[in-house]
Amino acid sequence: MAVIQWVSRFWRGVERLSRMVIVPLDRLLEELGFLSIVLVSVGLATRGEWPFLARYTGQQIYFTAVQRTYIFTVVGLIIGALTAFPLIVLGIRDPQILGRIMHLMIYHQLGPILAALFVAGLSGAAITAELGELRANQALDHLTAMGVNPYSFFVFPRLIGMALSLLILNCWLNVGVTVGAALMLNLYHNIPPTVFLRVCVAGLTPTALTLTGGMIVMQATHIVLVQTLRAFQVRAYVDIPRALPNAFTQSFIGCLLISLLFSLVRYG
Amino acid sequence: MAEARLRVRDWVLDAQPIPEPFDFQALPGELWLLVGRVDSGRRELIRSIAGLDRPLAGYLELFGQAVEPLRARALGRLRSQVGVVLEQSGLVPAWSVFENLALLLHYHRLAPIGAVEDYVVNFVESCRVPQTLLPRRASELSPLESAWIALLRALIIKPRLLLVSAYLPRETLAVNYSVWAFFEEVIQPMNMTILVDAGPGALPIGSETRLLVMDQGTLRAAGMAQDLSDHPDALVRHYAGSEYA
Repeated sequence: MAVIQWVSRFWRGVERLSRMVIVPLDRLLEELGFLSIVLVSVGLATRGEWPFLARYTGQQIYFTAVQRTYIFTVVGLIIGALTAFPLIVLGIRDPQILGRIMHLMIYHQLGPILAALFVAGLSGAAITAELGELRANQALDHLTAMGVNPYSFFVFPRLIGMALSLLILNCWLNVGVTVGAALMLNLYHNIPPTVFLRVCVAGLTPTALTLTGGMIVMQATHIVLVQTLRAFQVRAYVDIPRALPNAFTQSFIGCLLISLLFSLVRYG
Repeated sequence: MAEARLRVRDWVLDAQPIPEPFDFQALPGELWLLVGRVDSGRRELIRSIAGLDRPLAGYLELFGQAVEPLRARALGRLRSQVGVVLEQSGLVPAWSVFENLALLLHYHRLAPIGAVEDYVVNFVESCRVPQTLLPRRASELSPLESAWIALLRALIIKPRLLLVSAYLPRETLAVNYSVWAFFEEVIQPMNMTILVDAGPGALPIGSETRLLVMDQGTLRAAGMAQDLSDHPDALVRHYAGSEYA
């Protein structure tokens, strides 16, 4: 009897472990499938759709990037100051080393992760809530039945808008962080801000920029796909509060994994 | 004889237990009322014709064209001639009423871009809906106003087929203007085919009313109430003899 129980417990454990592997893979496949549907739908977009696509892409950039510029600059300045403190405490004064640390820590990793976190929490959640409501009140059903393609009409403009917005916001965040760190280093170590800024800019090689840009575009794509996919799975209004945190968690963990993947490519 | 606007053949709705297949066709200008018990398949029939749910089997023809082999773009063009009103209003809450009404005109290029505003205003006026509603956000509308705007959004594209699966408003937004007057002035001249599932007891049945009697996911009988009154099936006779669908 004890052996049977042990065997059954063992198989349950195996099942749980395999589920832990299969579920993320299943979600990745689901996301890729959704992306392919969106891209095919865009290829089939009619002439009447293009003005809408341009308009909604512009709106997405406005709501995600333009309206958040102030927040991102302030957050960047604070993070810049916070980044400078350990360097000050450790007594690192060499501008070359400081610039290198900024690149490795902030521009390549922490900056994009922070921007993705903000965007997934603010604009991503807004996308899930908005599209979830359209799903729950049957607006998507109505429009689909009357010949509107929901993927090219609702998802694609958000995809493009989010990718461009995240690139812009990363730039703003990095500017804020660099200025914040430069001010603190100048205050405590008398390092001239121009010297620090020059060192930071010098490290921006085309390869580094391309890799970071690619990573940001992938993160934005992932955020939009997860958030819209979760919104499209909403059946009733009560599903929306449940979809929001799930979509946020999934999109943010995905962004972390994308950062990890790119760091492995960059440094591995 | 006019060409059928809607034809379903060997149609099997996705329900449990698996229903019997059925055939049905509707001609231009015909109004069909769906009748039957709760869960008899009325809603599922409307949704499957609207392309929102897949049937288990069957052949669907809209305006003389088989739907199955069509590519997405051609299907979109075909669906642009179908007006749909479902249980909930389905308006985009953050948009104004005007934006909701103009969306399909822009999307399907049913009116020149510069003429869309006039088109919407004239249409709303012809339906005797107050123009003051146009700049209001859809989320601010009352349930009655939302129901009317949802109906107007389906009608503004001048559909050849109108599918309704909703409780229809029993009063209009204008004083001294009945729903039947609206039906005679606005809907009838469009000569569209209409399939209505308005819920139990929602619409009056006359002797010449066309009925689709649904039961257990399949079509029991289709025809005018007077022709169905001596049908061998007691359920069909019951609905044919009712005063309200």
